[in-house]
Amino acid sequence: MLKILVCVKQVPDVDMMKMDPDTGTLIRSGVPAILNPLDANALSAAISVKEKYGGEITLITMGPPKAEEVLRECLAMGADRALLLTDRAFGNADTLATSYSIVSAANCLDRFDLIFCGKETIDGATGQMGAQLAERFDSAQITSALLIREVDEETGKLVVDRELENGVETLRVSMPCLMTIEKTNYPARIPTLKGKMRAKKAEIITYTAEDIPGLDRTRIGDAGSPTKVPRMFPPVMPEPGTIIDEGSAEANALKLISIIREG
Amino acid sequence: MDKKAYKNFWVHIEHSEGKIHSVSLELCCEMRKLCDLSGDKLIAVVVGKLPAQETKKLLDCGADGILQVSGSGYERYNTEAYTNLYYVLCRKYHPSAVMIGGTVNGRDFAPRFAARLGVGCTSDATELIYNAGTGDIEFVEPAAGGKIMAVITMPVMRPQIGTIRPGTFKYAPAGKKEQTELLHENIDFDPSLIRTERIDFTPELFDPALDIAETDCLVCIGAGVKEESLPKYRELASLLGGKLGCTRPVADSGLLPYKLQVGQSGVMIKTKLYIGFGVSGAVNHVTGVSADKFIAINRDASAAIFNYCDYGIIGDADEICDAMLASLKT
Repeated sequence: MLKILVCVKQVPDVDMMKMDPDTGTLIRSGVPAILNPLDANALSAAISVKEKYGGEITLITMGPPKAEEVLRECLAMGADRALLLTDRAFGNADTLATSYSIVSAANCLDRFDLIFCGKETIDGATGQMGAQLAERFDSAQITSALLIREVDEETGKLVVDRELENGVETLRVSMPCLMTIEKTNYPARIPTLKGKMRAKKAEIITYTAEDIPGLDRTRIGDAGSPTKVPRMFPPVMPEPGTIIDEGSAEANALKLISIIREG
Repeated sequence: MDKKAYKNFWVHIEHSEGKIHSVSLELCCEMRKLCDLSGDKLIAVVVGKLPAQETKKLLDCGADGILQVSGSGYERYNTEAYTNLYYVLCRKYHPSAVMIGGTVNGRDFAPRFAARLGVGCTSDATELIYNAGTGDIEFVEPAAGGKIMAVITMPVMRPQIGTIRPGTFKYAPAGKKEQTELLHENIDFDPSLIRTERIDFTPELFDPALDIAETDCLVCIGAGVKEESLPKYRELASLLGGKLGCTRPVADSGLLPYKLQVGQSGVMIKTKLYIGFGVSGAVNHVTGVSADKFIAINRDASAAIFNYCDYGIIGDADEICDAMLASLKT
């Protein structure tokens, strides 16, 4: 049976975030936490594989206890079980520390043939997690996977289309394989009523740092993160441009056209 | 880790069919400026053969040296050989920084060799600052959807690794250095360790409407524009001899293809005239626009886009578009 892992993340809905003009910091309170949109596409791709070839889909996420919400949402969409990695010790991790933590936890639970990730998150937006997870899993990786054409459990190979700037390459690749999924062919699944009922009752496997034997504490959380964020600042706003106000839409449009034609 | 033992800034030179990718040249130009401040040497790392006139371009950007790498395993891009290559090179030469173009393949191997080395990696900085006090590169990048700028540093570990999107920096060669060095390395990679095999390649069919990077005029629509209004913006773009583009939310909604998404995570555009309809002005979007004349139309007078435009109209995008069409057609 194919063992499939899908990595997901709960993220703040950045479109709803506002900046405090006085302090120049982001106002985080009241901002809804959502499933990272592209992770839903990754899950959808995993479900497509399961529908065709069978298998078991495990979800994994790292975050505060509240991150359980996105696991239940994904269970309702069609995943089979879920692992939540939660501990303050994991906090403040960059992609390197996060990939080490996630892979350490996943390896405790099972050996996976296929690993799915969203292409990037809307909060960190580094797009680095896929490649760094693959490094830690010592697996093959297909970033920007467009379409999974074929999975052959017997030979341990799959055939995947990968989107490049100038076209699409079709690759045959050996399992275990991690893929970061392009959303084009894998729209998010809608949770079914039955799925929601099941997800509500499902038991979420929860690990803290203690639960992972041999976990190297120097490689997790803030201590395990080589990248730091010494400061943040609001984007520098240039001086506003000239506002055209000629009294009516027609007059404004005319003025605009004359400006365009000035060359 | 003794940071001082790590010297020189490297740029990975991506090339295909004998041509250097523009992003690699842009990076050489930008890193030259940092090298002048830090005293590091600028080293261009070339894997495989490059025609002499292309190598000359690297020297014209002010490279102090070219590290020419030969060996097997690099004919077709693959994660394994390139990850191993940079892992081996970094362990041997101890560069202070390695910069890689944020192409599909650059973004594929950069984070992976960083993880193998156990060092940090950043992506998509829009500005690089050398901090003489700390000796670190400060990677400045938009965060939280562009609402805030974050400064990322790697204060302890070396090398500092970063991927930068094409079009972020200008290609402005600083001129050839008096003294340049040519280094050579041969690193063979066992082909049996390459886990992918390319069985097909379908080049993208060229569609001029989807090629918006360099157009005389770009009509860009934002989330404020509704689906039923799309035809009028197409018409406006065509009457102005330009093309249609959009913001991330519009591409995310599926209204227009991703190839038309303007901004840092989409297409970086260079144009004479940009007209944004219902575009809010997120940093990730506006950093992707270089326009001689920048015009914005938005209902919301407080929209950030008005800070970036040369001329703005506070009003309904559809109404202005209709009025422009009426006027242009008479």
